[in-house]
Amino acid sequence: MRVAQRRLLRLLALLLALSFVAAACGNDNTPSASGDPTTTAADGGTSGVDYSALTGTINGSGSSFADGFYQQVISSMADQAPDLTVNYNPVGSGQGKKDFAAKLNDFAGTDSLVKPEEAPAGSYLYVPTAAAPITVSYNLDGVTELNLSATTLAKIFQGEITTWDDAAIKAENAGAKLPSTKIVIVHRADGSGTTSAFTKYLTKAAGADWKLGAGDTVNWPAGSQAGQKNTGVAQLIKDTKGAIGYVDFADAKATGLSFAKIKNKDGNFAEATLAGASAALAGATAADDLTLDALDAAGADTYPITAVTYILLRPTYDATVGANVKGFVTYVLTDGQSEAASVDYAKLPAALATKALAQLDKVTVG
Amino acid sequence: MALTADSRDLLSARPPLRRRLTNGVATAIMMAAALTALIALLLVVFYLLKKGAHVITWDFLTSDIPRNVRAPAGGVYPAIIGTLVMTGGAAAMAIPLGILGAIYLNEFGKQRPLARFIRFMADVMTGVPSIVMGLFIYTIWVVRFHSLSGFAGALALGCLMLPIVIRTTEEMLRLVPDELRQASQALGARTWRTTLAVVLPAGLSGIISGAMLALARAAGETAPLVFVAGIVFEPNRTLSGQNTALPVQIFRNASQPFPGAQERAWGAALTLVAIVFAFTLLARLISRRFSTGPR
Repeated sequence: MRVAQRRLLRLLALLLALSFVAAACGNDNTPSASGDPTTTAADGGTSGVDYSALTGTINGSGSSFADGFYQQVISSMADQAPDLTVNYNPVGSGQGKKDFAAKLNDFAGTDSLVKPEEAPAGSYLYVPTAAAPITVSYNLDGVTELNLSATTLAKIFQGEITTWDDAAIKAENAGAKLPSTKIVIVHRADGSGTTSAFTKYLTKAAGADWKLGAGDTVNWPAGSQAGQKNTGVAQLIKDTKGAIGYVDFADAKATGLSFAKIKNKDGNFAEATLAGASAALAGATAADDLTLDALDAAGADTYPITAVTYILLRPTYDATVGANVKGFVTYVLTDGQSEAASVDYAKLPAALATKALAQLDKVTVG
Repeated sequence: MALTADSRDLLSARPPLRRRLTNGVATAIMMAAALTALIALLLVVFYLLKKGAHVITWDFLTSDIPRNVRAPAGGVYPAIIGTLVMTGGAAAMAIPLGILGAIYLNEFGKQRPLARFIRFMADVMTGVPSIVMGLFIYTIWVVRFHSLSGFAGALALGCLMLPIVIRTTEEMLRLVPDELRQASQALGARTWRTTLAVVLPAGLSGIISGAMLALARAAGETAPLVFVAGIVFEPNRTLSGQNTALPVQIFRNASQPFPGAQERAWGAALTLVAIVFAFTLLARLISRRFSTGPR
């Protein structure tokens, strides 16, 4: 019994020692909580921000559409702001806005606008950061070029056109050899700004032919497939013969999907390109809250399904977080813009970027 | 009448044909069942090694998670740290609490209404899906304190581990013969002393195995962590602030169409299995070293 007791005591001592080690390990890497006077004192942080003075961690979540762009910008900003950690979690625009309302993130990324029930007006500010085409990607052997109009698209995504050799598709693709493969609709499972932009486009361009409405989620026809995030949709299209779905440009390209040319307002079938997206942006004007609608914009080369992505900011922040968030968004709108094209996003027109920077002045820090 | 015939058969060297046949068939079926179970396990390990072994390099284990899932290389070091920190935190909360709870149930509470109620609730808690446990922590902790954190993750994992620890520990304590307790008390030891010096050491190897089972289950959980722990790309060695874990990284990467992400998912899976295996080995060693029981 003695021996057993001693052994037990020794085990307890070992556990105690282990927990001390764990506690000791747990003390480095704590983000410094001290405010930084140099950056908070800067005039709204709109220009000439000393990025190297930023310290701490800020967390963002939301749009998976813009993930490629933000992660690239965060990586390159790390060279100039080594003490700042920015975590962006691509949970989807819908979840990002929920997190924002529940104060679980410091900023949200979204491609859809905030509805009154998601967050009260005045509790957020829009900052547009970039734009990109939403591709209509498909998986069809032997078909490398596909032209689609908004009406045909609407009918396909409503489940009214069920095979690839349907007369409506044939009429728009005279030369193509279309198989009789069944069409598999692939859409987003989660609440998504990409879904919102895509369905808004169909509402705008196909008019009465589109009956499912617009929003972060809509009631897709039975038998359609759902993927998580843009990449999940891309994965499903890649794996499913006869599939068609909407995917952001960067992910569609990185996955090697083929995507359709979409008929724009001027009647041309436009390919999804950054130039096409920039043309769409040029044709759109920003509202006072800096939201803008680049869907189905006019212009000969305009790609009609172009979505703008925003960062949501709170009107007030405490000193440290505020300086960091402002610093990050400033970087996105200045140095970050020149990197957009390298990761397949279209940068904002200069005038809009300036307005977006001015939006930062409305954010009170401290 | 048949009795005498049977007993003579039992004593003779060879049982009758029918019995031998039955015995042979039953043994064969059981062996086949055991082998099938083993084959499934071996296939899992084989497939993991085939897909993941070439991914595992020193670089993979020690570099940060690439921010861009499209990136071809990168590592899972922050996720390894996160797994250790969060399951460690969960274990620090759930194992002592669970063992103390089980001691109460078996040594003090026995069949009292409160003890029976706790036992019943522990059984119910064992059956609660992990995602529900995550939602629970999300509601009472994350939303209230406005922060996703490794601590919230540890809380969720701890809630998952607690009922398992309670139930396995209680079973182990129940297996300790009452004669030992009586002998101890006959020598004048109080109940607390009997429990500490006789019952616990006798059941220790089983208790540790149970705790390790719970730990392994917690280490493999994805669902609760996805929405209470957030994400990091650089190692966070504390429970404060957001964190990530290996299962979360498997989930995050495996759902991506990019080859680099797929490879990281396989590598993370193999790393996770290796970590759980290491835990189990460690537990075996500890329990062999400290237990006084027959096992």
